[in-house]
Amino acid sequence: MGHRSSIDINTEWDIVAARQLGRNEAKNTGFGTVDQARITTAISELARNIYLYAGRGRIEIEPITVGQRVGLVIIASDEGPGIADLQKVMTDGYTTSGGLGAGMPGVKRLMDEFRVDTEVGVGTTITATKWLH
Amino acid sequence: MNEVMRNNIFDNIETITTRWVEKMKTNSDERFLDLMPAPVVATMSREFTELMTSNLSDKEQVDKERLDEFTKKIIHFGWSIKFINRAIDTFSSIVYELFFENEILTDKNLRKGVNTIASWINPLRESIIEEYAVKWERTDSLQKIALQELSASLIPVFEKISVMPLVGTIDTERAKLIMENLLEGVVKQRAEVVLLDITGVPVVDTMVAHHIIQAADAVRLVGAKCMLVGIRPEIAQTIVTLGINLTDFSTTSTLRRGMQEALQMTGRTIVEEE
Amino acid sequence: MKMRIPILKLKETLIVSIQVELDDQTALQFQEDLLDQLHKTSARGVVIDLTPIDFIDSFIAKVLGDVIHMTSLMGAKVVITGIQPSVAITLIELGIRLENVTTALDLENGLEKLTRELEA
Repeated sequence: MGHRSSIDINTEWDIVAARQLGRNEAKNTGFGTVDQARITTAISELARNIYLYAGRGRIEIEPITVGQRVGLVIIASDEGPGIADLQKVMTDGYTTSGGLGAGMPGVKRLMDEFRVDTEVGVGTTITATKWLH
Repeated sequence: MNEVMRNNIFDNIETITTRWVEKMKTNSDERFLDLMPAPVVATMSREFTELMTSNLSDKEQVDKERLDEFTKKIIHFGWSIKFINRAIDTFSSIVYELFFENEILTDKNLRKGVNTIASWINPLRESIIEEYAVKWERTDSLQKIALQELSASLIPVFEKISVMPLVGTIDTERAKLIMENLLEGVVKQRAEVVLLDITGVPVVDTMVAHHIIQAADAVRLVGAKCMLVGIRPEIAQTIVTLGINLTDFSTTSTLRRGMQEALQMTGRTIVEEE
Repeated sequence: MKMRIPILKLKETLIVSIQVELDDQTALQFQEDLLDQLHKTSARGVVIDLTPIDFIDSFIAKVLGDVIHMTSLMGAKVVITGIQPSVAITLIELGIRLENVTTALDLENGLEKLTRELEA
């Protein structure tokens, strides 16, 4: 297990800080430019979702090693309203904020593993992993 | 393992090896041993029995180095895991036979003897199969890498025109690699038109088409145009039957016609010398 | 903290080179500034160069798409140049196609394309 770094998301500027952290971690882990862009973009989407829907939360980034595989885990957690209809949120084009509705399904496509734990009124934790091939 | 058994095995190691080869040859429906030249069979059998008896010495541990060497060889020779399992079974049944013949095992000490032999053979079986699996996985992933290296390079044919011939089946993993090579090539070669030649792709299903459409879209984003060439009649049929929409970008049946169009798009044509 | 993206005018064309990582406010400010400039200068074309940008998320993509749409409503034409391979792949995987956008490999190519399209 590597060290875990984190950024608290409270303002719009923290989105920028979170993706800068992600970009650096991705570079240090040894990801190529395309994967760096994927990871940075995924973090940006997740951080923005926290800011838009929960107001505050946290992005954590951790390099991991499982057997021979090396990867990067992103954990986006908040104590916001939770997601009532997960299926809808995971549908392309669905948005409640006037955005493109590409965020959640997009992040899933950008990363290798993607898990959502959510409970209405309690909060949401999204765990996404990218493996170094 | 008691002293008597150990000595008996070491004294009869030649007999064990010979019997093992004979039995494997008659029993086995997989003809691994028949296909190998006799001297190789001899070496392999000796190495196998040596490996099987390697943990009989004082440490009673499987010899890692020998295990490593041996599994490397059997994978190289293409022995299947089933064959190896049978090899171990045959080996232990020969040992039983031998112990009965030499009256080391009798009706009286049978139960104890079975336990002793099991505690000798079982760890070996486990280590051999585990090592085999690990090595096989490694071979498998190496082959995957080799396959990836085979695929997809972008060739600058004329100024502003590049061609990428695709050969073989396209899965998600390969599609990602193709996309990266394609885009990086377009930017590096400053290509304005890219011809994606799918003559060598055996099957174009919805998934393959989806990857091709994505690649063409990405090419458009970096500022070039993507043409799909080499569409064989059966591919055209499947595309239409599956309801795949390729109307957004230009397609031609052959690379030659595609090249003519690409030249036209970049304001050039080929003329014959007079 | 607010940054402004410089917008240059060359004959009938506005040229924008985005050199910094775009935060949401800067992106929105840029949208406003560009439309203002279009109105003031009555330029007919815009080239936006994204060569230094190493990622575009759905928000920035939306702002860009909106800018392009608004610009065409005002009667001008936009060419986007220098989208990096990694950015293009990420956009496609996100599901953002940026349809009806004219693109070019770099600024020079983009200016050529724009001139051709304005003449046509």
